[in-house]
Amino acid sequence: MSAPEKPAPPVNYWTKPYWNAANEGKLIIQRCLDCQKHIFYPRICCPFCFSDRIEWVPASGKGRVYTYTVVRSNAPSAFIGDMPFVIAIVRLEEGVQMLTNIVGCDPDEVRCEMPVEVTFERLNENFVLPKFKPAGSE
Amino acid sequence: MGIKGKAAIVGIGEVPTGKFPDREAIVCAIESARQAILDAGINKDEIDTVIPTAALYSPQFNTELVGCRIVEEIGLAGKVKNNVQIFSGGSSSCNFLRIASGLINLGVSRCILCVHADKLGTGVSAQGGIDLFSTAGISKEWEVPYGMHYSAIAGLITQRYMYETGTTAEQVASVCVSNRKWAELNPNAMFRKPLTVEEVMASKMLSTPLHAKESNMLADGGSAFIITSAERAREITDRPVYILGEGSRVTHFALSQEPDLTRFAYAAAAEEAYREAGLTPRDIDIAEIYDSYPVFQLIALEELGFCKRGEAGAFVYEGNTWPGGKLPMTTNGGMLSQGHTGAGGGVAILVEAARQLMGKAGERQVEGARFAIETATGGTYMDTHVTILGTEIP
Ligand SMILES: [Zn+2]
Repeated sequence: MSAPEKPAPPVNYWTKPYWNAANEGKLIIQRCLDCQKHIFYPRICCPFCFSDRIEWVPASGKGRVYTYTVVRSNAPSAFIGDMPFVIAIVRLEEGVQMLTNIVGCDPDEVRCEMPVEVTFERLNENFVLPKFKPAGSE
Repeated sequence: MGIKGKAAIVGIGEVPTGKFPDREAIVCAIESARQAILDAGINKDEIDTVIPTAALYSPQFNTELVGCRIVEEIGLAGKVKNNVQIFSGGSSSCNFLRIASGLINLGVSRCILCVHADKLGTGVSAQGGIDLFSTAGISKEWEVPYGMHYSAIAGLITQRYMYETGTTAEQVASVCVSNRKWAELNPNAMFRKPLTVEEVMASKMLSTPLHAKESNMLADGGSAFIITSAERAREITDRPVYILGEGSRVTHFALSQEPDLTRFAYAAAAEEAYREAGLTPRDIDIAEIYDSYPVFQLIALEELGFCKRGEAGAFVYEGNTWPGGKLPMTTNGGMLSQGHTGAGGGVAILVEAARQLMGKAGERQVEGARFAIETATGGTYMDTHVTILGTEIP
C-alpha cells in the first residue's frame, strides 16, 4: 500500500497572496495599516484592533526556534516515510509565530532558541511550503 | 454572582476503561448513566435535562447522542425537557459543570444527567487513531501540512517546558509512575501493572522528548454524573459535592499561536477559582489534574500554586503525589493509566474528584478529603479550566 498524498492546505481569498508568494520563494505576512502590528496566520481582520485595513509585507524570514520535536515514530500516515523529521514553532523577528519543519540539518542538532531562516520546499505541483533551516546554512 | 455552593454533584457512574471490542458504546453510555442515577438514589423521572458530550469514534453514534437516544433508552421520553450536547474535547468535563450548574442556578433545569461514552480503543485502528488526531482540532491550513499530530504537540510543549525549567526527562517520566501507583488501586483502569521510571525511559521515542509510555492510550469507556441544586442535593445525600469555584480561559486554536507553552492559562484560571471558593492551595486535599501527557500535570502543579516554578518535577519524582503522599494527584490514574476515552478522559477525572469527596474511592480513598481541585484542557490544549469542589461550603 502506498502512502497517502501529503495534505495540502485549503486556500481562501485572503490567504491566496501568501501561497502565491511562497510559490515564488517569498515569505510574506500581514500588517495592520491601523495599529501597525504584524499578523500571522493571515486573517480577514486585524485580531488586535479589529481593523480590516490589512496589507501584505515581506517578512525577514529570520527567527528563532521557540520549540521543536523530532518525530521518530507514530507519525500520521502521509508522513511515515519522512521520519525522523522536525516539527517546530518558529518566532520570526517580526514577533509572529509559525508552525513549520526544520530542514537542512541533522534533526538532533535542532535546539530551542536556535537562529533559523526561511527556505522553501515544494509540496506538490500547486504548493510550496515555507520551512526553516539553521541560519547561515546552505 | 457566581456558582459557589449553588449546585452539587449527587451521583456518579463509570464503566471500566480499556479495549472491549464487543461492548457497544451505547452500553457504556447507558450503564454509566444508570449507575449515576442509582448512586444518587433518585427517581430517574427527576432528571429534566440530559447532556451528552461528543463521541469521536463514530459520526453515527455521535448523532445518536445528539438525537436523544439516551433519553429514550433510559425511559425518560416525554419527561426530559432538553437533550443537548456540550463538547469542548478534553475540557468537556468542566464545561459540563459550568453550563449545568449555570442552568440549575437560573432555575432553567432542576436535575441534570451528564454522560460520556466513546469507543476510541477498538472503534478505530491504531494508525486510524493517529490519523484522526493529526487533523482533529488541528489547523488544516497552517499546521496539518507540516505533519502535526498529538504526540508532536506533546513533544513541542514538553521540550520547551524542560528547556525553561530545567526539569529532567526522569522527572517527567516519574509523573507516569505516580499516575500508575493510583491506577494499581483502580479496578476501572486500563493499566494496573506497576511501572518504573526506567521502564518509561526505555520505551520507544515518539516525538522527542516524549516516550511511548508518556503517551495516553486511546480506550473505550464511559462515565456520567448527576448534578442538581444545593438545596435538593442536601435532601438526597448527606455528602453532596458542591461546586465551590471555577475559572477558565481559552488561549488558542492553533498550538503555534499559543504565547506560553509552559504555562497556558492555569494561573489565571486558578486565581479565579480560588477567589470564588475562598480557598488557597493549602486548603486543597486532592489535585485531580488533567493529564493526557505528563507535562500538563507538572505545569498545573506549579501554576495552581502547589510547587514553585521548575520544582514540580522533583516534587512528583520524590513521591509526594503518590497514594499516601502530601498531595494525592490524579487519583484514578489519569489518561496515562486509566486510558483516554476522548472527551471522557476529563469526565473520568471529574467523576473521580466527586468519588473521592463522596468517600467512595475504595482502596484509593484519600481519608478525610474535603476539598479537591480539578483541571481540564481541550483540543490542542486550547483552553484551561480549573474547578474547586468540596463537601462543605467555606
Ligand atoms: Zn490592527
